[in-house]
Amino acid sequence: MALRLPTQLPTPVKLHHHHIKTSSNNARLSWCRTLSPLPLFSSSSSSSSSFTGKSCTQQMVVKCSAAGTANASAVNMGPGTPVRPTSILVVGPTGTLGRQIVRRALDEGYDVRCLVRPRPAPADFLRDWGATVVNADLSKPETIPATLVGVHTIIDCATGRPEEPIKTVDWEGKVALIQCAKAMGIQKYIFYSIHNCDKHPEVPLMEIKYCTEKFLRDSGLTHVVIRLCGFMQGLIGQYAVPILEEKSVWGTDAPTRIAYMDTQDIARLTFIALRNENINGRVLTFAGPRAWTTQEVITLCERLAGQDANVTTVPVSVLRFTRQLTRFFEWTNDVADRLAFSEVLTSDIVFSVPMNETYDLLGVDVKDIATLEKYLQDYFTNILKKLKDLKAQSKQSDFYI
Amino acid sequence: MTATATTVTPSNSYYFQNHSSTHKSCILKPNTTQWHTTTTVCRRQILVTKASSGSTGKGSKRGRTKKTGTTPDAVTENKLTKQQEEQQQQVSITLDDVNPVGLGRKSRQIFDEVWRKFSGLGQISRTTRPDDMEALDALLIREGPMCEFAIPGAQNTTVLVVGATSRIGRIVVRKLMLRGYSVKALVRKADQEVVDILPRSVEIITGDVGDPSTLKAAVENCNKIIYCATARSTITGDLYRVDHQGVYNLTKAFQDFNNKLAQLRAGKSSKSKLLLAKFKSEDSLNGWEVHQGTYFQDEVAFKYDAGMDAKFEFTETGDAVFSGYVYTRGGYVELSKNLLLPLGSTLDRYEGLVLSVGGNGRSYVLILEAGPSADRSQSKLYFARFNTKVGFCRVRIPFSSFRPVKPDDPPLDPFLVHTMTIRFEPRRQRPVEGSSATKQDLRSFKLILEYIKALPTGQETDFVLVSCTGLGVEASRREQVIKAKRAGEDSLRRSGLGYTIIRPGPLKEEPGGQRALVFDQGNRITQGISCADVADICVKALHDSTARNKSFDVCYEYVAEQERELYELVAHLPDKANNYLTPALSVLEKNT
Repeated sequence: MALRLPTQLPTPVKLHHHHIKTSSNNARLSWCRTLSPLPLFSSSSSSSSSFTGKSCTQQMVVKCSAAGTANASAVNMGPGTPVRPTSILVVGPTGTLGRQIVRRALDEGYDVRCLVRPRPAPADFLRDWGATVVNADLSKPETIPATLVGVHTIIDCATGRPEEPIKTVDWEGKVALIQCAKAMGIQKYIFYSIHNCDKHPEVPLMEIKYCTEKFLRDSGLTHVVIRLCGFMQGLIGQYAVPILEEKSVWGTDAPTRIAYMDTQDIARLTFIALRNENINGRVLTFAGPRAWTTQEVITLCERLAGQDANVTTVPVSVLRFTRQLTRFFEWTNDVADRLAFSEVLTSDIVFSVPMNETYDLLGVDVKDIATLEKYLQDYFTNILKKLKDLKAQSKQSDFYI
Repeated sequence: MTATATTVTPSNSYYFQNHSSTHKSCILKPNTTQWHTTTTVCRRQILVTKASSGSTGKGSKRGRTKKTGTTPDAVTENKLTKQQEEQQQQVSITLDDVNPVGLGRKSRQIFDEVWRKFSGLGQISRTTRPDDMEALDALLIREGPMCEFAIPGAQNTTVLVVGATSRIGRIVVRKLMLRGYSVKALVRKADQEVVDILPRSVEIITGDVGDPSTLKAAVENCNKIIYCATARSTITGDLYRVDHQGVYNLTKAFQDFNNKLAQLRAGKSSKSKLLLAKFKSEDSLNGWEVHQGTYFQDEVAFKYDAGMDAKFEFTETGDAVFSGYVYTRGGYVELSKNLLLPLGSTLDRYEGLVLSVGGNGRSYVLILEAGPSADRSQSKLYFARFNTKVGFCRVRIPFSSFRPVKPDDPPLDPFLVHTMTIRFEPRRQRPVEGSSATKQDLRSFKLILEYIKALPTGQETDFVLVSCTGLGVEASRREQVIKAKRAGEDSLRRSGLGYTIIRPGPLKEEPGGQRALVFDQGNRITQGISCADVADICVKALHDSTARNKSFDVCYEYVAEQERELYELVAHLPDKANNYLTPALSVLEKNT
């Protein structure tokens, strides 16, 4: 890697030529600039305390247009060892979707590099599977470039942790990542967004995703945007486990329907899309076979678990009220952002999209896509069987180690 | 973690009556906030126990209700415990429970929990907490049955990957790890670079296939071997060392290990051999008959030759010796016996014979007569040649190596075998190396027989060998490369292990699963194939009974030019849902 480094990074001289050739706006995308976070983020960080949905839009529009004039010119910096197309970088590999991406990639024979934040308890399972783990933090742009050396494709499935400000990773970090990717000649960028993110600018996360989509498009990178609806894996922790433990399940009375999808299917389809050159630059939406309301999911879990759930229904109005309340205080802004989906949830909206066209495009058979019934049934069958086994074999009592 | 153990719900504690009394007293912490702590902590416990082994609150709870339903004893017992608990609950309001710090902490936990759930409602795609995540992973992702990669049986299988740092080997190792196998990797040098390539939980063994002494540790406790090592150069010495002798050494080490296991189980395991004959006393020679004959009659020569003679006798030193001489041109002597198998065993459950023999190193022909035992006239003859060494050695002859004497006869069906013959003929004898080589007369022989056993068969392949078709190798060295590879393949076939030999087209470094594959036999393929696809075939072949004892070529599907299609090809697209390997291989010839 050390040998390859000089050929991959632009030397100052080359960078200079580069500037002369292209418009001066390109300076924004040069990686030297990216290393200094100040000019990039000064505008946003100065006003982040008064951060509301509206002002966010304005800032982002400004930024997008600033980067917009840069066109596809800064790709190949010079001669060197060509990057192998099997080398990919997964950003956010420890997440629900990220880990499935990593596994799928490894299984299909990619050399996978995982970008994780430096942390005391490192993600061992990634190394156990055979991925390479590199430490970097999207909120510290100077750590990013070194991880991109020798990478052909970036798969970006990162998102901020619930407890941190929504902008740090999801907007500022992504902008830095995309700029680095551009400057270092990454050949493809896969970005995961949210379905209908263009229709709900009042929700900060969705707005940020939409702006990132635009930013990516304007950056001139070869990219694919994949919009997602909901993950089946999330339902396990939310409903299935509490029902089995006979604890209260919290649900809303919102009529929103979400087409949950198995992350393993998402990962599989992603790699089909990744290899298909005709999909470059397009926005795909992946949705599960059927859209479900919260109540329907709970009912399904109850049926499969063979027991009633103790449902605590929170009216959506309470959520909205809490959000309004938390928005008044600076220190609860993060909370307000998290609750922002309640705005969406109140509406009678369906988070789904007909998939036939996408299936045709990718050449996937509909029957290979997992349905929620099948998924949850598998889960309950397995878990009940496992519980039974454990009960049979464990007469010993000290299992709280 | 004792703190977590303190908060078991009363219904759970029914199962923990074996606990010491001190333990039990600290289980109960009644106060106003108990409902809460119970929920949070129990949640964690339950999630943890799913990952490790142990019972869960849920499990025991269900168990309780079940028991109350079935046995009245359990009901009363249950009631009793509940009463006891209630009493203890009333008694044990201690100073701890009114401690303001403790109360504050508990109330914060309640708030956190409620807040977490509440704010979770406002999310579209819920993020689970890290500790939940950990436990869910174990079930959904790592070893759990919900994982799309999980293979039943993989957890109890240890696979040795030879050449784990090669292009194919790297992917093979990863695929095995994803599927939950235990993986051992044989590498020549365990330096940092190599260690970094391999997943961390792989057991790295330093050794060299060219050096038999280093292989014993490698095959220890392995169930299967995937051999994707290849010579680094096309120098003949390298080729011989890795591609030919390496395979031989490894099969030998693996068989030795298997034999050791079978011995430990005292002949009762499915890996145990079936004893056909053991020559340890005079009586054991009964039933063996010596015959002689000639392949052709040569009247003139017959007058001058010294004839032939042979005898089978039990010597004073306790050896069963078949010895004699054949000076007649085209003559042979043979020793044969009707096989009487122990009740309930048939040879079709076995896949070859092993002979422990000694003598002066001649080669012999083993002839099996097969046919319906009621009508011996319909019997067909099958033969296989084997070599011996000076001194004792064990010879393995798979049934697959027997060829019909009349080429039109069907292949040998071991089920029908009724007579076994060991034949000596002076033709095609090679002089034994050594000092006495100058004086030996190749027409005389001495064969000391110790035992004859049948080797058990298996359902799955034991040894997957990645060979090559020779395409893509530089033309000047192609012959040598192929020669070494074929010799390696042959030594694997002869080893008695279940084998799968994969001969991929020229390897490409690109992701797998993209293009349809062609499985073929007969060296007709022309296309390349990605390393990942070869790795996938290796891994799939491990548990596929149709892959056992097969050699095949594989490459990407290609589009034949118009009107030049030589044969119809069946393409198989590797995919998550379908197991493409079984249908692809089931049409191919076995024992190839």
